Amino acid sequence: MSVVIIALIIGVTSFSPYALVPFHVTGQALLLYIVVRGFCYWPPMVEWIKSMPGFHRAMFALLLGGMIVGHYTLDSRTFYPYVTWFIFPTIRDEDPVTCREFIATTASGKKVRLLVEQLFPSIVQIYPLDDPKHYSDKQIDALAQSLATAYNQHHPGDPVRGVEFVVLAVELHPPASASPTEPSCQLLKRYDFSSGL
Amino acid sequence: MPAAQTLRFLIGPLVLLHEQAGPRLLRLTRLGLFALWFFKLCLDPLWRLADLPRSLFQPIGILALLPQGAMDALLQPGSLTIFLFATLAVLALGLTDRAFPVVSTLAAILLTAYSCLIRGFGPAVHTDTVALLAVYVLAGFAWADYFQMKFSRGKKSPDAWSSYPLVTIVALLCLSYALVGYNRVVRGGLPLFMGDTMEVWAIDASLRAYYFNTNIGWHIPDWPFVVFMLKAGLPAITFLEMTAPLCLISSHYRWIFMPVMLSFHFLSLVFMNIFFFDDMLIYLLLVDWSRRFPSLRRSRE
Repeated sequence: MSVVIIALIIGVTSFSPYALVPFHVTGQALLLYIVVRGFCYWPPMVEWIKSMPGFHRAMFALLLGGMIVGHYTLDSRTFYPYVTWFIFPTIRDEDPVTCREFIATTASGKKVRLLVEQLFPSIVQIYPLDDPKHYSDKQIDALAQSLATAYNQHHPGDPVRGVEFVVLAVELHPPASASPTEPSCQLLKRYDFSSGL
Repeated sequence: MPAAQTLRFLIGPLVLLHEQAGPRLLRLTRLGLFALWFFKLCLDPLWRLADLPRSLFQPIGILALLPQGAMDALLQPGSLTIFLFATLAVLALGLTDRAFPVVSTLAAILLTAYSCLIRGFGPAVHTDTVALLAVYVLAGFAWADYFQMKFSRGKKSPDAWSSYPLVTIVALLCLSYALVGYNRVVRGGLPLFMGDTMEVWAIDASLRAYYFNTNIGWHIPDWPFVVFMLKAGLPAITFLEMTAPLCLISSHYRWIFMPVMLSFHFLSLVFMNIFFFDDMLIYLLLVDWSRRFPSLRRSRE
């Protein structure tokens, strides 16, 4: 019964003309509430929680509550590690799919991809390089230089002579007659490091 | 067999995971988790971060509380090396199980700073977040044990307390999956599961090439079976994510959840270059070891 009442409250708060709280918050809250309620009605769980001494019960509530509250802050950067659990949640339909990256040419003429996550393995992931919100032109230039320097430190015998900043593209629906290919590549900017870094 | 009986057979016995766990299993979990972080950090050349443009670094979490000068000082190769070795030393101390409440709290603080540091050049991604929260759980319950013992006038801690952190770690793992599932269903709605979304996400991730780099994902449009698998897999995986809390109570469900999700994570590595290595190790806690091995069970009170 209480689930129905809560669903009604959500309807009013999220879909009324005032729309106080967005549905992507209240809808998730309802789903979570259903699960928590389910556990509250399961006797072994109730017994287990009741058997906990006070400090342990408080700790259990704090740790789980922290994770739930962190999810609803919708601000992973401020409250990390209490993050918003956000994996593949939005609709994407762009075609072709594109991505910017740095490709270096070494002294021997070899082409190598300069990937931040490989040259700096501490980093799990950087922001996509095509996101102007996170990178100015100056920062892209500085990054190209840092990547080339990092590559040279590990390959002193075959250093980078130049770096190309390119955009790769993969067609989502290639023509049926097309043979499987590598992503298409378009040059955006060229950096010349032949005189050294 | 009547329908109700068939359903009951399929659901299987509903028993709380790790309810019978004893101190040995908790000790093994502490050892495993601290060893995981120790080896992870041993492989990390953290000092190299100093070579990246400083302007790209935007502090997150507790690092945002540091003044600019302190942050600049931390992002020097020497400071990063000292920080790394200090964290490794604390983790090594954690492996000995001595003064565990203090050591694990220190480890939790240092690992939080470390995790914020490596995310400062990009988004606050979820990789190893559950492993970090698991350290919080071990530290938090170690303090709860300490205070509970102190207030119950030095009585020896009952074995039953060992199950609390173990159940909580599994609960956090399941909750992380559940929240991902709820978020996807509510935000994306039905259209997310009908269109090309998963295909786009997969190609996008494969093009970006993270630490692992299989160079396979961008061929997805050429392979209709893989496209079908991605489209059919998304609702199935989302369903399992949303129902992940059932792992806490149903062994039958866990035997479906584990192989499917492990395959999903493995395929994410192959097609998207993404791998949640740390979560995979926490999956070991989805097995009710104490029911299988009496030595890991708590003694009867």
